[in-house]
Amino acid sequence: MRGFLRSGLLLGCSGLMVPGAAQAATQGTAGATSTGSVTVSATVPGRVQISGLTDVAFGTVDPTSPASSAENVCVWSNTSGKGYSVTASGNGTGNAFTLSDGTNSLPYSVEWAGSSGQTSGTALSSGAALAGLSSTATNPTCSAGPAATASLIVKMTAANLQAAVASAYTGTLTLVVAPQ
Amino acid sequence: MARYPTDARLRRAPEGRRGRLTFGRAAFATLALAAVPAQAIASDTVRISGLSDLAFGSITSFGTDSVLSESICLYAKSPPGDNYRVTASGSGSGGAFVLSSGSAVLPFEVQWSATPGQTSGLQLLANQALTGQHSASGSAAVDDCSKGPATSASLIVILRSAALGSASSGTYTGTLTLLVAPE
Repeated sequence: MRGFLRSGLLLGCSGLMVPGAAQAATQGTAGATSTGSVTVSATVPGRVQISGLTDVAFGTVDPTSPASSAENVCVWSNTSGKGYSVTASGNGTGNAFTLSDGTNSLPYSVEWAGSSGQTSGTALSSGAALAGLSSTATNPTCSAGPAATASLIVKMTAANLQAAVASAYTGTLTLVVAPQ
Repeated sequence: MARYPTDARLRRAPEGRRGRLTFGRAAFATLALAAVPAQAIASDTVRISGLSDLAFGSITSFGTDSVLSESICLYAKSPPGDNYRVTASGSGSGGAFVLSSGSAVLPFEVQWSATPGQTSGLQLLANQALTGQHSASGSAAVDDCSKGPATSASLIVILRSAALGSASSGTYTGTLTLLVAPE
């Protein structure tokens, strides 16, 4: 038991002597030249950001045909693999993907693609994270590098449109991205 | 053949002998010194001290530059102007100003001001001397700034937002070395 504790202490001490650990500033001495040094350190936390979102307005839709709208968005991640996950939720009952006119509802679906310019992607379920995505963004808002890195696609089926009462429907789709 | 000292400050000039048409060696030494280009001499002294590590901590904003500055003691006794030059080098390849986190790097900028309490100054380039800096330590100062102004220059380190935005997450460290010399 004693031996075990001693080993634990030694390991703890060795942890303080990690090669490359930060050194304290050194002061120069007086002379014909003088040299000092400082250690500079910074922690860059894992962060993601989604931007470039615009409202999706289908306008007047023909219920005999499915409706689809795709937009390019910017997702930035600074993890080593620039990975992220995305979780979507609507403002219907239980965060369902539905639009409402105040009385009636109109379901829609959401898809996500990990590259821009896409009109189809992986279907998202409300509240369920789609993981394993990676970004090509080099800037939190894509103001440099690629202007967009992903595609958000919203769709309504002809069947749902045909079942909907004629009206004007609105809703809110919330997207949460997280670093991976 | 008389031999004359080349530096009257370092060696006492011999006295002239009494009598007609005699000249002291000091006169010759003074003339010889006048021909020497102005440069730092052996008695010039500089010292940089009062340095502290610069820890940015966890970056909270990627949209703005992160700036840290510190006032330090820069003593220069190099008559007549007490001027000095400063040369900085980082721990990156070729002395580059970069912080490292494993194989990931985060570049930073270095600025210098010959006045304490500044948050901006003249940009330093790695391994290139910034010349013509004047020490504000004053005639009463000692080389550790324990007399006269406690600080006499500013060291500024900047993490640009563009660099922060493109850096991978991690804890970055690096060393910044400053060399000062009289002028």
